[in-house]
Amino acid sequence: MKNSKLFVLFLVVVFGMLVLSGFSSVFAADYPDHEITIVVPYNAGGASDMTSRIVATGMQEALGQTILVVNKPGGSGGVGMSEVRAAKPDGYTISYIPVEIVMHETLKLSDLKSDDFDYIGQLTLVPSALTVAVDAPYNTVKEFVDYALAHPGEVTIGNSGAGSIWHIAATYLEQVSGAKFNHIPFDGAAPAVTALMGGHINAVTVNAGEVLSGVEAGKLKILAIMTEERDPNMPDVPTMKESGFEVVIGGWGGLGVPKGTPADVMEKLSASVEKATASQEFKDFISQRGMVVNYKNSTDFTKFVADQTVFFSDLLSKMELGG
Amino acid sequence: MIESLGSLMQGLAVAISPMNILYCFIGCAVGMLVGVLPGIGPTEATALLIPLTYGMSPVSAIIMLCGIYYGGMYGGTITSVLINTPGEAASVVTCLDGYPLAKQGRAGVALKVAAYGSFVGGILSIFGLVLLAPPLADWALKFGPSEMFALLVFGMCMVVGLMGKSLIRGLVSIFIGLLLALVGMDTVSGAVRFTLGSNQLVGGLSIVTICMGLFGLSEILVGMENLSQTNKVSSVASSKLRKGEWGPTIGSIIRGSFLGFFMGLIPGTSSAIPALISYSMEKRLSKHPEKFGTGIPEGVAGPETANNSYVGGAMIPLFTLGIPCSPTIAILMGAFMLHGLTPGPTLFIENPIVVWGTIASMFVGNVILLIMNVPLANVWAKVAQIPNKMLYPVVLIVAILGAYTVSNSMFEVGIMLVCGVIGYLLKKLDIPMAPIALVFVLSEMMERSILQSIKINKGLSGLYNSPICMTLLILSVIILIASLFAEYSNKKSRFLTSDDE
Repeated sequence: MKNSKLFVLFLVVVFGMLVLSGFSSVFAADYPDHEITIVVPYNAGGASDMTSRIVATGMQEALGQTILVVNKPGGSGGVGMSEVRAAKPDGYTISYIPVEIVMHETLKLSDLKSDDFDYIGQLTLVPSALTVAVDAPYNTVKEFVDYALAHPGEVTIGNSGAGSIWHIAATYLEQVSGAKFNHIPFDGAAPAVTALMGGHINAVTVNAGEVLSGVEAGKLKILAIMTEERDPNMPDVPTMKESGFEVVIGGWGGLGVPKGTPADVMEKLSASVEKATASQEFKDFISQRGMVVNYKNSTDFTKFVADQTVFFSDLLSKMELGG
Repeated sequence: MIESLGSLMQGLAVAISPMNILYCFIGCAVGMLVGVLPGIGPTEATALLIPLTYGMSPVSAIIMLCGIYYGGMYGGTITSVLINTPGEAASVVTCLDGYPLAKQGRAGVALKVAAYGSFVGGILSIFGLVLLAPPLADWALKFGPSEMFALLVFGMCMVVGLMGKSLIRGLVSIFIGLLLALVGMDTVSGAVRFTLGSNQLVGGLSIVTICMGLFGLSEILVGMENLSQTNKVSSVASSKLRKGEWGPTIGSIIRGSFLGFFMGLIPGTSSAIPALISYSMEKRLSKHPEKFGTGIPEGVAGPETANNSYVGGAMIPLFTLGIPCSPTIAILMGAFMLHGLTPGPTLFIENPIVVWGTIASMFVGNVILLIMNVPLANVWAKVAQIPNKMLYPVVLIVAILGAYTVSNSMFEVGIMLVCGVIGYLLKKLDIPMAPIALVFVLSEMMERSILQSIKINKGLSGLYNSPICMTLLILSVIILIASLFAEYSNKKSRFLTSDDE
């Protein structure tokens, strides 16, 4: 009798476990069953934040769950990204991943490495544009570089902070062209552009979107953008490559989740991002901000991040930043 | 000019359509609310509400977002006056006389004077915006790193005027402010300083967190000592100005309007600078400078006017050149772009309705805020009557919540608590708090601008080659000498006559 009671108990336990595990597998199949959080490692209102919020709206429709966008600024994105890295790899905590992820290790900004994440997809490309005052004595990159070669160390180029992507872009141009610039760091791209308009510096290498107003106001001119191909938003502006300087560099943004996120969850997220980036709303917003919609799926983005890590580590180790 | 006024009338027609008035009202109300809650300032509120404006027409969206901006400027005053907790840097100086007024049961006076001042400042600066926009915008561009540095030196000298009774204690306070500003990554060299290895400190400390700790929390801690005593404001005094207070108050409002407007034009400044300069200026011009800090209406009126007229001034570089002068304006610029409008001179030509509608809505918004605030002043004033036992827990919760929302982390709450304890100790030592907060805001910009100037000019030549720069620096020296002299003669006379201190 005693034994049969134990046996029944055993059956109940086994049955219960089966049911529970069954349920949990049902849960996994039903991802997402509660709200998802996207962590933006920068302040509210910036380009990264706005991009994330608009993508979140599109993903929300595709996934049928609420997506919260939370800002965790600080440490060149290190604070927010570290938090996501430490989160459970279940697809409910996503990080906006900026280009800075590939520099953290080399610049010792934090202990983040680019392979700490599984990458869902790329959203945007943020082209760097060499911009000067409209009355400057140079109209092409070639003339600009010649001028700089003739006046070594005198041409001042503004960027958005020491070690920022735009600082690196100017240093890269320096490396390729052999000219020597005087790099002036500002607290963000907008103050650098303002200083350029006031004639306090000679050029900026910041995001094309930041200088558009100045160009329209007839105060600035863009000499070239540092992308592979011309930007459809400004078809008249040549690329650096066309002008004879092999300089392709820029910022980008994508989404990532902690390493070890299940494949089926990744698939769903990736599909929702693809859908969100294809929407007209997203495209309009991105092009108005002077950025380029550049969707890459999980596989391509992962490869891209790996390539960029090698590219930037190589570039940064040759540069003398901070000066 | 006549043309501008004609366009303004057209804009007014847009702005007073019922829907736009409603959006303007919503914007102002939300702005007031976030101004009252520390932590979320107008910058964050504007950013968070931008996605809600997708479905609206561009004019309505911009009208609402602008409402949040200047509504927030009004709201920040309320907490400064009532609980001595500035919600943003611009309201720090409002605490100096606003809170003593509230302690005397005259919170209503402080709030009303601030509301009238903000209204006048707002309206005058919009007139400036309409009439003087293009030539001024070009002039303002002359402010490069060197000129900015000189302006900040000037601002720093003004801080000396806020030091309270003792120069030494004031200097201690200034150095604490400088020390706090050094924490984090230096944008010029990229070097990371005083972070104690913490990732969260790389971005530096937040002014909001520091203010809530130093001002709000320390006030609670000091108040806890006499919680058992019922030293409450017995009654709410009349919220009318007394005889003899009208003159200086009106004067300070008019001076504040012009000051704020011109400061707004200069890229890279913050609304804390005109507020600070206005306060120091009023104190210097006053017939009874010793009363500043004890609760006098003109000490509230001047700075509050200046930080509101700053808004109108700051719109000029945005509309004429596409330059965002302050973080909030940068977010507004994002909102324009989101609705397919690029701020800049072409905007006036391509979308006059949007530009003039927005400008006209600022008139409407200021009227709405005046109507909302003047009757409310008496209601708010009653808050000062709530017994501390009930008020303190609420203030504490609001402060913790506010600190948390700065970067959505408990880390900021921790910093706020530490600042609160430091603030308590400083209060016991009679060291003034306002210079800490203001120097913190100014010195960060000051360090950056001098390093930029040195780097651009490969030396200090930028400083003496610029007439604007030299003028400001000479003025600074004069002010510094004058205040040191005043301090000295003051001490001497006090030494001879005073026996009550």
